[in-house]
Amino acid sequence: MGMPITVDVRDDAATTESIDAVFAELRAIDELFSPFKETSVVSRINSGTLALSDAPALLADVLGLCRRYGALTHGYFDPWHDGRLDPSGLVKGWALARGAAILDRLGHLNYFVDGAGDVRTRGSSGDGRAWRVGIRHPVERDKVARVVLAHALAVATSGTYEKGAHIYDPHTGRPVTDYVSFTVVGPDILTADVFATAAFAMGREGLAFVAEQDGYEAFAITPDLEGISTSGFDALCA
Amino acid sequence: MRRAISALLVTIVGVVWLVTFKVTPLEVDAVTQPTPASRTREPVTPPPGRTAAPTPTIAPGTAAASGAFTGAMISTIYGPVQVRITVSNQKVVDVQAVALPRDRARSAAISQYSAPMLRTEAIQAQSANIDIVSGATYTSIAYARSLDNALKQAHLA
Repeated sequence: MGMPITVDVRDDAATTESIDAVFAELRAIDELFSPFKETSVVSRINSGTLALSDAPALLADVLGLCRRYGALTHGYFDPWHDGRLDPSGLVKGWALARGAAILDRLGHLNYFVDGAGDVRTRGSSGDGRAWRVGIRHPVERDKVARVVLAHALAVATSGTYEKGAHIYDPHTGRPVTDYVSFTVVGPDILTADVFATAAFAMGREGLAFVAEQDGYEAFAITPDLEGISTSGFDALCA
Repeated sequence: MRRAISALLVTIVGVVWLVTFKVTPLEVDAVTQPTPASRTREPVTPPPGRTAAPTPTIAPGTAAASGAFTGAMISTIYGPVQVRITVSNQKVVDVQAVALPRDRARSAAISQYSAPMLRTEAIQAQSANIDIVSGATYTSIAYARSLDNALKQAHLA
């Protein structure tokens, strides 16, 4: 059990070796950061068998990003919880960004990387067509509410329509009920993923928060199945 | 065009760790010094224009029992910051920002809901032709803890 990741490369030079390289990177990140593996750096720090100062440099990179995004989102991101380290909320988007960067370095121009419904696209799905990224309908699970046309965009969605899922406002500790789905579209998957999470938790102010961020648009769905989008979102859709 | 596609499961897990909100020390504008009174009892109706230096009604060193407490208003280069906490049985049960700065991170969006920028519609359920689906999978701490437990039961974690 874990986060399903799909990598789809559609280039003349597409090889399984390229995908293997991405998955090797993701496995390495998983070994370092999974809170579910006793041998991970995160678990060893929490069990007291590894000092922060002895941790690999990648951990410092992640903690630096956590601080940056924590400030940008007004404290909605913090890798420490009850004295335990858990940067999962940021590592997912960061890992997907690193996977996409490997494909870039290998010269691939047309691909997507999908990690549990958060997507980074580049180029085309074929013959110059944009990648068609559906935003899942919160009730009708096999249908979509909107379709984003993406050539070089990331699409990240936070939602509470899965059974038992809640997102809590860290300021009040109460579940956020303004939306059931919150999608952020923009150039960077890490930023889109962090914004989708934090803006969801901001409740009614979340859409305005994203609207103020250069290059990012948002589409939220209320429990009454009303869609609310920032002004530039429609132009990105089919 | 060749196509190579593959999938993998990893356990970094896209959990929404929405964190305990911490009131961190603020960078204070060098010009405006903060008032030392940082913990004061909230009056029923704050006088208009009141900023800092209210009269503390709790002896220093005494643990707060219960009630609402508003911190001194602190000036930063981005604007004023003031926080109110609610305490019950010596535990902080709520933290609210009474004032937030309009900082470079555009926190104005936090305090001002700008409806004119937003469009509203009734969403449609479409069976459109798509390449990828963006959507929630597991998004809660409860889910993660349950998942962790299940993984351990299965001796996978």
